[in-house]
Amino acid sequence: MDQLPNLGREQEMLEIMGLKSMDDLFDDIPEKIRSEGPLPLRAPQSEEEIIRDAQKLLGANVNLDSRPSFLSAGLARNFVPSMVPMIATRGEFLTSYTPYQPEVSQGMLQAMWEFQTMISELVELPISNVSMYDASTSAAEAITCAVRVKSKKVEKPNTVFISELVPPHRLSVIENYTQGVGIEIMKLPHGSDGLLDLEMASSAFGSCAVYVEQPNSFGILDEGLMRLREIVGEKTAIIVGVDVTTLGLIEPPGNWGADIVVGEGQPFGIGPTAGGPIYGIFACTKDFLRLMPGRIVGQSIDTNGKTAYTLTLSTREQHIRRHRATSNICSNETLIALMGAMHMALLGPVGLEQLSTRVLASTIQTMNEISSLEGVDLAFPDSPVFREFAIKIPGLARDALSHMDNLGVTAGFDLGNWWGDKSSWILVGCDERTSESDISALKEGLSSWMEALE
Amino acid sequence: MTGTIFDFNGSKDAGWSQPPPISHDAIKSIPESMRRKKLPEWPRASEPELVRHYTQLSQKNFGIDTGFYPLGSCTMKHNPRLNERIVQHPGIDRIHPLQPESQVQGLLAIYYEMQEMLAICSGMDSVTLQPVAGAQGEFTAIRCIQEYHRERGEGHRDKVIVPDSAHGTNPASASMCGYQIIEIPSASDGRIDLDALRSAVGDDTAAMMITNPSTLGVFEPEIAEAAEIVHNAGGQMYYDGANFNAILGKTDPGRMGFDAVHYNLHKTFSQPHGGGGPGSGPIGVKEHLSKFLPTPLAGRYEAKDGDSLVGDGYWYHWISPERTIGKVQQWNGNAGAVVRSWAFYRRYGRELERMSEHAVLNANYLRHVMMNPDPELDIHAMPLEGCPADVVKHEFTLSMSPLKEANGVTGKDVAKRLLDYGYMAPTLYFPQIVPECLMFEPTETESKEVLDKFAQDFHAILAEDPEVVLSSPHTTPVGRVDEVWAARNLILRYNKSQEQS
Repeated sequence: MDQLPNLGREQEMLEIMGLKSMDDLFDDIPEKIRSEGPLPLRAPQSEEEIIRDAQKLLGANVNLDSRPSFLSAGLARNFVPSMVPMIATRGEFLTSYTPYQPEVSQGMLQAMWEFQTMISELVELPISNVSMYDASTSAAEAITCAVRVKSKKVEKPNTVFISELVPPHRLSVIENYTQGVGIEIMKLPHGSDGLLDLEMASSAFGSCAVYVEQPNSFGILDEGLMRLREIVGEKTAIIVGVDVTTLGLIEPPGNWGADIVVGEGQPFGIGPTAGGPIYGIFACTKDFLRLMPGRIVGQSIDTNGKTAYTLTLSTREQHIRRHRATSNICSNETLIALMGAMHMALLGPVGLEQLSTRVLASTIQTMNEISSLEGVDLAFPDSPVFREFAIKIPGLARDALSHMDNLGVTAGFDLGNWWGDKSSWILVGCDERTSESDISALKEGLSSWMEALE
Repeated sequence: MTGTIFDFNGSKDAGWSQPPPISHDAIKSIPESMRRKKLPEWPRASEPELVRHYTQLSQKNFGIDTGFYPLGSCTMKHNPRLNERIVQHPGIDRIHPLQPESQVQGLLAIYYEMQEMLAICSGMDSVTLQPVAGAQGEFTAIRCIQEYHRERGEGHRDKVIVPDSAHGTNPASASMCGYQIIEIPSASDGRIDLDALRSAVGDDTAAMMITNPSTLGVFEPEIAEAAEIVHNAGGQMYYDGANFNAILGKTDPGRMGFDAVHYNLHKTFSQPHGGGGPGSGPIGVKEHLSKFLPTPLAGRYEAKDGDSLVGDGYWYHWISPERTIGKVQQWNGNAGAVVRSWAFYRRYGRELERMSEHAVLNANYLRHVMMNPDPELDIHAMPLEGCPADVVKHEFTLSMSPLKEANGVTGKDVAKRLLDYGYMAPTLYFPQIVPECLMFEPTETESKEVLDKFAQDFHAILAEDPEVVLSSPHTTPVGRVDEVWAARNLILRYNKSQEQS
């Protein structure tokens, strides 16, 4: 009860109002719908007791840093510089609301304007918003946005083509966001080499948008995507989902024709946090500006002509436009985007390139060592990869992962969970922190499982 | 003044110090044509420069920690620092949502406890913690309702009813599911107009979305009757939980007749607002909607001897509802917000009722002292109540129309002048049904002294030279910001060539 400054002073305050008891404050609730008796919940606890319980419960979880870990599948076991959580959680940032009063919110507004610039630079597109919930809602709202912009201008209105390798959990979000507004989702097939089938991709010509991911779900960097513009023509929007960490080494989609770039911002700013809060990035060309979702900060001036920042283009948003809004999003992931901005600024251009190089080096090293094991086959031996690669093993991935879990190694992700025909495939995820000893542990674990098979 | 972060232009060859890559020449695996030609023009700064940059920015930002934040409808209560301490634990920060259940028993136990607690507080049967914001909670619940109607062969129901005082997210969320919106007018006292509702419902009604207490901060006494009207027409009742802070332990949406509800953990359960997020918007539903909830939910069963890793005798696991709509966020929601809110809930436990009592006590007290100024003061014009109620719940509205008529000072001017006195402004011009509306929500975490002083300063503004108020704010880091200029010029990022002023 240490959170209530007026505890014990209720009577004094009630008397000033001419009321007798706390019940008087609730006598507008009709008898028939009033609660009976106290809430059937546990007794209150002190901070000390809550910390004790939290440590016990959270301590029962196996954290990724406590053992060799190769689980990625869309989130990064990253390293976040100490400054980031310490400065981002200063009370002035942490406890502020959406900056509707710009005069007393210049700090967050400027930080978000700088964030927009860094994302814009990263992906080479001119516009960025201040974040979406995650990569999946960012992709979903990029699709609905593209349909709004393109539907009246193309031969196949309300039609969007998306890569068949978009993983089921992200596809499910996209389906929930598109099903009600009459958008038809068609699939773009990939070849046996894991690369997008460019010949088949021409069927997307005349549609509102294509959505592809770089790298794709198997970690493959697909050079063919850079030719999408010539294949789908000028009128169809190209939406690309990225692993932001690749962009220190890989040509950003804005430079090869992408109209909208989305992705998980999480590698910059925050740990995987059991899947949230993280943040989605959303960047686009000027054509999409007025129909895009999310908050945008613009530079302006105050009454004295001094530079100032404010939310702008709010007329797209739900609190003004109501059911005609471009999205229902209001609360987004600003604080996490702030952490991302700090992390990006600390890295700097050269630090970004080094980070990308480290992740790539870990991936190649792990892949080379694991694929040297007899019985393990790379699913796509000829395609360049980043962060992740898929292997085929002689048995069920589920069994191998469980065997290695018992040895203290989190060896990756069972691709059978996403695609039933890939139950003997493991998605091995690497990051900047993957070490030689982690790789040895993975190798030994896999070998011992295969030995036990014989 | 602080320049921008792009003023930092240190060494071209150095960035954040990192260990070397574990192998060399990996870049050779990437075809030349795919390689990036020019690195992004990010700042080149050292840690000391950046710490100072962001600290100085923070000093130009107002939070609850800075001062009173009476922003109506947003429940800006104190954010306990315990919450922040707990989420730094590697058992949450360093967890991957796809880890096997055996590795996340503690997290599952917290999810389970929160699902149960939220169901109890709202009178619902099942809860999902997956939606990551209130608006996404609304969207998720409307999706469940949509599937419910479809399963019953009533997919033709294509209308969602919202009162004209509803939060803008309600119609926006329903619209994203493909529904047409029927907006019904409020009665003259701002409450729900049952006759208007009766004539709006029909066999095309899918749902009604409403908050109670209303956006005017007043309890709708006829809510059960409204629910009956909608149910009789075959529609579902959706409770916008933005104002949930007012009623915990006093009544609940289940008793009022609702079928689905969202909670804002960032309002009621002290997840910090973070300058606009992250939030968390779990939803609760009645039994008949449970099987449509997003996947997965946390479940548990009695563990065999010694198998319970968290020591409470249970084994926790993920379960997928029978006819799930799938996913609305690709993982399991904002787990960090759930853990913070769990820590907040544990402080109150069954005494959550005290929290709501104090939120309502503070709102009524502030309303009383604001509407009863020192008679000696020379106030130009007193505001009118937005809704003539004997008692309000957690928030209330005032119309500044009399002042505007008296000397041209608008609600916005008063709001801006409050910034000079060291307060955050109240919510401005919402709900739109109250002219020149200011909406105040003090929350339970403000002392009587703060409320008294705020009322006193508010009265001082009402008695001030109108010119001073009209040209306010005067003491803030920048003066009144020109929003039209921003929308006209659209400078949405830094450009070196433009050389910012």
